Amino acid sequence: MVFKIIKKPFIALLLVTTLLSGCSLPGLSGPAEKTVTIGTLGTAESAIMGNMVRLMIQHYTDLQTEMITNLGSSTVQHEAMMSGEVDITATRYTGTDLVGALGMEPITDPDKAMKVVKREFQEQFNQTWFDSYGFANSYAFTVKSELAEKENLETVSDLEAIAADLRLGVDSAWIRRPAVGYDSFIKKYGFEFGRVFPMSIGLVYKAVESGEMDVVLAYTTDGRLEAFDLVTLKDNKHLFPPYDASPVARDEFLEKHPELRDVLQKLAGTIDTEQMRKMNHKANVKMKEPKLVAKEFLEKHNYFE
Amino acid sequence: METLTDLGLYYSQNMGYVWEQFFRHFLMSAYGVLLAAMVAIPVGIVIARHARLSAWVISLTNIIQTVPALAMLAVLMLAMGLGANTVVFALFLYSLLPILRNTYTGIRSVDRALIESGRGMGMTKFQLLRMVELPLALSVIMAGLRTALVIAIGIATIGTFIGAGGLGDIIIRGTNATNGTAIILAGAIPTAVMAVVADVVMGWFEKLLSPVKGKKTDKMEKTA
Repeated sequence: MVFKIIKKPFIALLLVTTLLSGCSLPGLSGPAEKTVTIGTLGTAESAIMGNMVRLMIQHYTDLQTEMITNLGSSTVQHEAMMSGEVDITATRYTGTDLVGALGMEPITDPDKAMKVVKREFQEQFNQTWFDSYGFANSYAFTVKSELAEKENLETVSDLEAIAADLRLGVDSAWIRRPAVGYDSFIKKYGFEFGRVFPMSIGLVYKAVESGEMDVVLAYTTDGRLEAFDLVTLKDNKHLFPPYDASPVARDEFLEKHPELRDVLQKLAGTIDTEQMRKMNHKANVKMKEPKLVAKEFLEKHNYFE
Repeated sequence: METLTDLGLYYSQNMGYVWEQFFRHFLMSAYGVLLAAMVAIPVGIVIARHARLSAWVISLTNIIQTVPALAMLAVLMLAMGLGANTVVFALFLYSLLPILRNTYTGIRSVDRALIESGRGMGMTKFQLLRMVELPLALSVIMAGLRTALVIAIGIATIGTFIGAGGLGDIIIRGTNATNGTAIILAGAIPTAVMAVVADVVMGWFEKLLSPVKGKKTDKMEKTA
């Protein structure tokens, strides 16, 4: 008797679960076979590129698209690709995945790093690492444009003569990082800064703009470089590994929809660091949604013709 | 003040996008509640007839309700993966208790005399349910759906952490942007508005479906 009573709700529960895990809800997700799932990080940059990929796919193919946004880190992106929940990840950086997903030593030559990730991702994970969009989001020593003009600064080595009087503001995670941290900096460039202040990466831009720091270690595509009129110095001794950004896609999905390959290739080498910085500025400072920033860029550069 | 102008700027630039997320947010919440209604209303009816079973089932849904939303999403994510469907399932689980308990209460509070008279007229069990118990319990059940929907709209906000989109996406983006206060508000205000409007609309339905009160006031107005 009791069994009979329990059976009904149990069956209903089972029904709901299978319905949800297998099928699609109108308005929320499309049929799995014809849907590309694009994964992005929580950063504006990743959201912009993810939306660009999405808009291109919508324009050039008849596939449906779905976004999985706000993935926590590169590792999470990789896991989502491995489990097949995501078909394309929009922004992967060579330097990050070389050390993270592949567990290899950092490589400072950009071309070599790109070659290695392309080969290894194909062999180890059956994923295609596409050519870079054209921008790299790496660390760069950054100063105000006034200081750069006054002291005639172009490369990091140019700082050597005045470094003893300078205050350096850096990401607190960077200082102790092996192979690229402050110790390696001293070894490679052969000089030290007067004082070093570790802080949260989000604060360094304001700190150098307000004059509390003289030099900071910033991300090269951050929109605030644009807003605060800051200049990045060339890493002339190649301390930092390259962080060229590319889309990565699962081969299994590319085989089913070979037209995707051409669509993703269209974006290769088209956006330089300066342009990305401007787009980040629009999204983070001017408060335009990444989706609209992406659309505006594609329309302006005639991708839809 | 500056935040207000920023907020205006944000909406003027991104209105279409906000609508899109608003709609998505609402869909997730509504699906969760509807699926829960499909399960919880029949179960509620069954347990209303079997008092011993009711204690077990209600305490089970009680336990589900005590799981923190973030933990629930994290655990479900491991089993079902990322995306909107997982959020819908979490909302389904959270909606079970209010709907189940209200169905149970609604059916139990139907006057025994009415049921007896129905039975006296020769109604079958099913007829009793359809023509006496359900119409009388409907407004109470509706109140359960109302509570469930308001809770669901709130919880759907954290769906952004497993990549489901919705208004939570806008809020989280605000926390990452340089001066994000306006963006955070731009996501939080529509969420609150949605919850309030849902509450009012469902409350209106609840009144509409209430069999006793509605008709009485109607007649009183007519005679007056």
